Amino acid sequence: MTHGHLWDRLAEAKSRLAPVQSKYRVLFEDPATPDEPAKVLVPDPNFMAAALAGNVLPPIDTYQRDRLVPDGQPKEHPYAEPIGAMSEEEAIEYLVQKDIDPAVWRDYQGNRTIMKIVPVEMIPADRSFRNAWRIVQ
Amino acid sequence: MSTLNVSNITDGTTTVGTSYVVNGSAKHFCNWNGTGTPAILESLNTASLTDVGAAEVTVNLSSAMSSANYGVTGLSSGSDRNITYSRGSANTASAIKTYTTNLSSAADEAASNTVVAHGDLA
Repeated sequence: MTHGHLWDRLAEAKSRLAPVQSKYRVLFEDPATPDEPAKVLVPDPNFMAAALAGNVLPPIDTYQRDRLVPDGQPKEHPYAEPIGAMSEEEAIEYLVQKDIDPAVWRDYQGNRTIMKIVPVEMIPADRSFRNAWRIVQ
Repeated sequence: MSTLNVSNITDGTTTVGTSYVVNGSAKHFCNWNGTGTPAILESLNTASLTDVGAAEVTVNLSSAMSSANYGVTGLSSGSDRNITYSRGSANTASAIKTYTTNLSSAADEAASNTVVAHGDLA
């Protein structure tokens, strides 16, 4: 049996799996734009369900190679063989590598803390001063 | 997973080519709350969203589109009337960049936000 296209697996998984709201958020700052506020990565519940169940998502290195593929050219990640189940923590690490620029999580060599994985309760619910958010050093 | 390979679909009266169904289906949608602690409430083909700053959110796709030239529609609700559109940098094949404003074009976060994408998948 072929594993098909990633979109087909995601649609099938959504019909079969209950969504999972992650208890984590990823707080990060972009070193290329130091004056901008801290950003917050919010995991998708259907993505989390698929990651925890396994056999839906492609290997993370296919996304990383596809970053270098120009628009309109064939991408690797939709057709790659799916990987097995992840823990919630592994799924968050996967998302960091997929959706945050490597300049943040891989290449940064400064001495500021520019990324933290935190419980969702640590993200302020009051957004009055949202554009002043920074990671406490 | 089984594959049904047919050229047309009919209800007995009306017949359409399956390409109309495949090409016309939304390839992605995401609904999230933009006030309080942001969370994704319902979605398809979404990996995450990035809360970039006040009223500014990037939605990250799991399965990328074939190029950045796909169609996106968006709608926001809340205490004021808001619109959702890209701002600053453009959408990419795997990320939809949104910004919600009030009718005076000032940043204004909405309680409920939705984006839908149509086009070809990678």
